[in-house]
Amino acid sequence: MEVLDYDILVLGSGIAGLTSAIHASKLLGGSGKIAIISKLHLMRSHSIAAEGGISGVLYPSENGDTFDLHAYDTIKGSDYLADQDAVESLVASAPKEIRFFEHLGVPWSREPDGKITSRAFGGMSMKRTAFAADKTGFFMMRALYDTVLGLSNVERFHEHFATSLFVKNNKFIGLTCVDLATGAVKLFKGKTCIIATGGYSRTYGFTTTSHSATGDGTALAWEAGLPLKDMEFVQFHPTALVPNGILITEAARGEGGLLKNADDERFMQRYAPSVMELAPRDIVSRAIMTEISEGRGITQEGSGIEHVYLDLTQLGEEKLDEKLPMIKEMTIKSLGLDPSKEKIPVRPATHFTMGGIHTDIEGRVFSHDRKNRIENLWAAGECGCVSIHGANRLGSNSLSECAVWGRATGMAAAKYARVHEHGYSIGAKAMAALEEKRLERLTDRGKGNDPYAIRERLQSLMEEHMFVFRSKAGMEKARVGIARLKLQAKDVRIVDKGKVFNTNLRDALEIKNLLDLAAVSVKCAIERHESRGAHSRTDYKSRDDKRWLKHTIARKSRTGIDISYLPVVITKWQPKPREY
Amino acid sequence: MRETIRNAPLYAAMIGVPVLMMAELLSSLFYPPASAILVPLIIIGLFVFGFSAMREVYPKHAISIGTPYYFNGITKTTVEKKEPSVMKKNAKEVKLKLVRFNPSSKRMEANIYTIAVDRFTTVLDALLHIKEKEDSTLSMRYSCRMGICGSCGVVVNGKPCLACETNVLNSTGLSGIEVSPMHGNPLLKDLVNDFDDFFRRHIAVKPQLFREDKVAQYVADAEYPQTQKQVEAFLPYSYCIMCGLCLDACPVVNTNPDFIGPQALSQAQRYLADSRDQLGTERIKLVDSMEGIWGCEFAGSCSKVCPKGVDPATAIQLLKSEAVDRAIKYK
Repeated sequence: MEVLDYDILVLGSGIAGLTSAIHASKLLGGSGKIAIISKLHLMRSHSIAAEGGISGVLYPSENGDTFDLHAYDTIKGSDYLADQDAVESLVASAPKEIRFFEHLGVPWSREPDGKITSRAFGGMSMKRTAFAADKTGFFMMRALYDTVLGLSNVERFHEHFATSLFVKNNKFIGLTCVDLATGAVKLFKGKTCIIATGGYSRTYGFTTTSHSATGDGTALAWEAGLPLKDMEFVQFHPTALVPNGILITEAARGEGGLLKNADDERFMQRYAPSVMELAPRDIVSRAIMTEISEGRGITQEGSGIEHVYLDLTQLGEEKLDEKLPMIKEMTIKSLGLDPSKEKIPVRPATHFTMGGIHTDIEGRVFSHDRKNRIENLWAAGECGCVSIHGANRLGSNSLSECAVWGRATGMAAAKYARVHEHGYSIGAKAMAALEEKRLERLTDRGKGNDPYAIRERLQSLMEEHMFVFRSKAGMEKARVGIARLKLQAKDVRIVDKGKVFNTNLRDALEIKNLLDLAAVSVKCAIERHESRGAHSRTDYKSRDDKRWLKHTIARKSRTGIDISYLPVVITKWQPKPREY
Repeated sequence: MRETIRNAPLYAAMIGVPVLMMAELLSSLFYPPASAILVPLIIIGLFVFGFSAMREVYPKHAISIGTPYYFNGITKTTVEKKEPSVMKKNAKEVKLKLVRFNPSSKRMEANIYTIAVDRFTTVLDALLHIKEKEDSTLSMRYSCRMGICGSCGVVVNGKPCLACETNVLNSTGLSGIEVSPMHGNPLLKDLVNDFDDFFRRHIAVKPQLFREDKVAQYVADAEYPQTQKQVEAFLPYSYCIMCGLCLDACPVVNTNPDFIGPQALSQAQRYLADSRDQLGTERIKLVDSMEGIWGCEFAGSCSKVCPKGVDPATAIQLLKSEAVDRAIKYK
């Protein structure tokens, strides 16, 4: 088996991963080597699909916007579950990160005087979302990838699928990967590791995310016994294109798009009269689902999916071409529908997972005992949960999170790697050999269950019972169903016996990850007896700050899933009723 | 045994033709009139031999008619007999011919599937359907399914395109739809190309923003001012998603692999036209050669296939004129 040794391993190549690699590379200089490992080509990670923009108060003195106001909006949006110290650090660093991306080459849309311009976003009381048309994530990813190409101490491992993470005595030792091109199992040893593998929205079928958003890093951490936080909170984006779930950015509403039901009524006036379409995503999603369930939706011909309309016709062709070119391109290409002339069919779809690996404010991962930290392991971006988003993320805060914690974790890892020697890793080789055997056995098995059928059932269970509105009975059904699927997945059949680019094996491993994460998510959701942010229960309809103003921490135990709770950090803003 | 029967004409001709030729030689020496009968027989024998030999190399020759020239090597075509599983209501049946590379035999193979599609089904949906329901050994790259990650470049009916952006019904003709891998890069498996060479070309043009103020670039206290007009100068070339379709369509790079190709050159133009970049003439020098901009013959196929409207062909002509301008200035 090939054994590779690096100072810093970056697992995942989205905006968080690449940012951390760049900053670590600068700090390490010639004294250390960094490996970026991705299951895709590095520049194709799901961050590339981010559309609307990145939040940050760029010019505080000019329009009366302040860091505190940004923080308050974020905390109110999170339904007061966000850790307020983390939010303060986010809003303070975000503007600098936007400028940093500008320095790497991102073509931010500009004001006539050369300043970076901003647009309105849901839940934000000021215009503070910088953007590059509606391809913000794409431009950030390309700038990052191109910058990484120029760094001599960074090595790139395209299409390496991580299969296990080795943590021993509260220290990260290494990880194993399958090189998809050859099928070889490799052991990566590292002084430090940054996990940046994104969310697990593919536990649902109707989702805005890439096929690759399967939360692999989060699942590996879970498998290694590390605690996960707030896994019940899954964001549903209100406007996904019907029938394929492609994201129609919130910026479409920020630029003046209207939501309408079958009666051509702007129904948001009944749900959030002061901000209308620009309410936070959980509120808009609930509004749309209510409209549909009360019979004011429209059924799409062909797919049979019920939806409402997003009306962009009043924006005019010129504004669409300038501000939302990709929306236009995609609706034309996938539905043959011109948004400047017709209304777009939309409905809520899974978009973001607020929960993830339990980390402290610097992004350092907590160990199994929930008190100590793993000193050389960090998590950044959607896969981690510093807890900025709480129970519901505000649009455009995710890119800021990736940028801010990308830099923070990269710098921290580089500082650690500079002063520490390679630790003992005698066990790593033996564990990797076992892992190689396990994968071999998995591939060689002659008969078993079809992994794709398992995934299909998982996705329909999650969509039926863990969607916008949840109930005890439904979630119990999901829990039992997923437990059954997990049993089936133990005996899964890989039809492809080849070594070269075996995506059948990769899919089976991904599906196992999805099942693990879905089970944790359902369990946490059942235990939380209240409605907060994106977690909305029909049997506990209101928020209960007395009992539930706390984070859920889940960890693997011998009997299954062990749940405990952690208080929320509150600095300046006491919880208040959340009204828009 | 069946092999022997199938190849009987071949064996007959292999033995028959030399025997007849020997007879012809002998008869022309001893009894000339006999050779008049033997000559046509030899000619017929040679024809039989030729056809049988051809069948050895292209067993189902008839099926590969209509495939692009580079797939003459298809050795096996199988028709999947399975009943199509209905995906949705209002579905239509479509014949999809899938050309794929078998890494163990190093040969191209073709499978024909009958699949049910509706008006929304994309080529990627169809491929995923085949992978999940009919043949799980199929490999292809895909991720975002919204035309921005650049993973799923394939060739549909002979034209390079993104599988996720190509509608099946719109691309289906009388004989169905054909999906094959890109051929500009070596193949790994099925529809998956090896992109290493493609990435090397991209890296060669130094695709980064070069700044003198290295420290300030990272500290990022203030932005580099840029007007919307200056942004628009490089914006058209910054939409590249690195899918590799332009390289696949370029006739020059496919006949002369030393030519760096349209993708890399469009990226050279993207950074050259950016007012924030300070590499300047150095950047032009990187591509000022026969393998660089001067290798382009302006066929324009790159711009025709680009799914994001990047227009590398124009980028290269702009680079040429910039190179000439600077050469005159600095002489």
